[in-house]
Amino acid sequence: MITFEAVTKRYPDGTVAVDALDLTVPDGKTMVFVGPSGCGKTTSLRMINRLIEPSEGQILLDGTDIKTRHPAQLRRGIGYVIQQTGLFPHRTIEDNIGTVPVLNGWSRAKARGRAQELLTLVGLDPALAKRYPHQLSGGQQQRVGVARALAADPPVLLMDEPFSAVDPIVRASLQDQLLSLQAELRKTIVLVTHDIEEAIKVGDIVALFRPHGTLAQVAAPEELLAAPVDDYVEGFVGFDRGIRRLSFVPTAELVLSASAVLPADATVERARAAGEPWILVTEAPGGRALGWVAVEKLTALSGDALLAQAQTDAVGHSFVVGTDSLRAALDAAVLSPAGQAVGVDAAGRALGTASFDQLRAAIQTGTSEHDRATRREAPLP
Amino acid sequence: MMWSWIPSNGALIWQLTRQNAYLGVIPALIGLAISLPLGIIAARWRWLYPPVLTVFNILYVIPSLALFIALIPAFGLTDTTVIIALTVFSLCVILPNVVAGLLAVPPPVKQAATAMGYGPLRRLVTVELPLAVPVIIAGLRIGVVAGISLASVGQLIGVSSLGYLFIDGLQRSFPTEIWVGLFLVIALALVCDFILVGIRRALTPWTVRS
Repeated sequence: MITFEAVTKRYPDGTVAVDALDLTVPDGKTMVFVGPSGCGKTTSLRMINRLIEPSEGQILLDGTDIKTRHPAQLRRGIGYVIQQTGLFPHRTIEDNIGTVPVLNGWSRAKARGRAQELLTLVGLDPALAKRYPHQLSGGQQQRVGVARALAADPPVLLMDEPFSAVDPIVRASLQDQLLSLQAELRKTIVLVTHDIEEAIKVGDIVALFRPHGTLAQVAAPEELLAAPVDDYVEGFVGFDRGIRRLSFVPTAELVLSASAVLPADATVERARAAGEPWILVTEAPGGRALGWVAVEKLTALSGDALLAQAQTDAVGHSFVVGTDSLRAALDAAVLSPAGQAVGVDAAGRALGTASFDQLRAAIQTGTSEHDRATRREAPLP
Repeated sequence: MMWSWIPSNGALIWQLTRQNAYLGVIPALIGLAISLPLGIIAARWRWLYPPVLTVFNILYVIPSLALFIALIPAFGLTDTTVIIALTVFSLCVILPNVVAGLLAVPPPVKQAATAMGYGPLRRLVTVELPLAVPVIIAGLRIGVVAGISLASVGQLIGVSSLGYLFIDGLQRSFPTEIWVGLFLVIALALVCDFILVGIRRALTPWTVRS
């Protein structure tokens, strides 16, 4: 656990970078410091491993004031990842990763063995071990940076804009990697970013800073989207926060209808009798979806023809019921030719369809439950 | 060209070449030994660097012969006089490269090293100096080549080197001797330069692009 107690950083010229910060980072959680440039988020991060010393206040790591710790010893227990990777250009990948273990007194050989494990852990080919950093792509270098930070298995990981220098596709995959690593390792992570999307995606808790080093709001991502405390937070979170918060509402409560689903061996007559403008055709009852059929286009076929003979429009996106969020379901409905989202199970079998009306009902239920949970903390009008 | 002069004076030529190599290389190595600590201090306390550099730049504009003569009262017509003078000149080219090499280490690399838990001395020795090696050796190459060339001037105060072949050839109006001297000075400089390039490659395997 990392605790900031009334921490202020004032520079000799009078600039206040961080202003009386009180904040607790719980064990095993990812806390994201987010805010505009000059809000003190990076300064706050660097005070945790004493790259910057606070002017006032204290920072506790598991209850101990970090000022009482020897800086180099303290830092060997805190992983550190930066945007420019900071890999040592003169050392091979394995020796970069083995940096802290070797500082801790491990033999070179043992540290290289550990480097092999870490390369696999961060999704890199262990064959890269003998290369130099400049022989790797930016995304690969960033993964090596994460591996190096994890090498000595520190309980705390500090990440300063770790994914800002790579292209959006690589960034998304690095973020996913971090989420799956964190699910496995449960480190106490502090990550600095200026990107609210990244904060919402990777953070368990988001600390949104105002300019000049004060906190605007500290909350779980879904709460930040649902209940911004003021105009500043609302503005920073973005105009489509209503849609984005649906990412946190599960589809478990969504009512699916089966009336528009028919197997391929059903007759055109049955499709007409269903009373739906669009029919979702499946391989077999309870099987995978083959596509959408518009009932009004079935006029060319006789009533006893099979739906398998009819022309279908592709299903496109579907959503996995229970796993995907309402945002994915809404997205599936918007992109569907029938204006209906197709819900499937983990094996891809069609479970039913959801219309906009059904989605709206689920959105209202899902979000109001959330509001009830957060209303107590919201200010009175 | 009188080719037969070369084999009949082989022993003299070999002795002068060795002496010239000695007078050229030793000052550069001493210069490196002085430049490293001085450069580390100048890179650490940046305000020190401009005055130090100014002093060496002023020394650098002194003609080599004048410096030899200035040192004679103290050290006589000896190797020491030449080595001291050439060391001063080598400092002028090596020191700026030590400082530039250390300052060129990327700040994120230094920051990462500190954040990993390196102390200042360990960071200097295992991260900053290795990364400065290519720039430092570039300075050393200039120092060695200039030293070999300037060492021949020492002959004017009687300290033997390949310069002997120039002066003797001129006095005897014997161009073969001058050409041989010129060829050997250039060859010596090239050989030393190649050796230094080889050393740099061996010390900095990460700079070899595959």
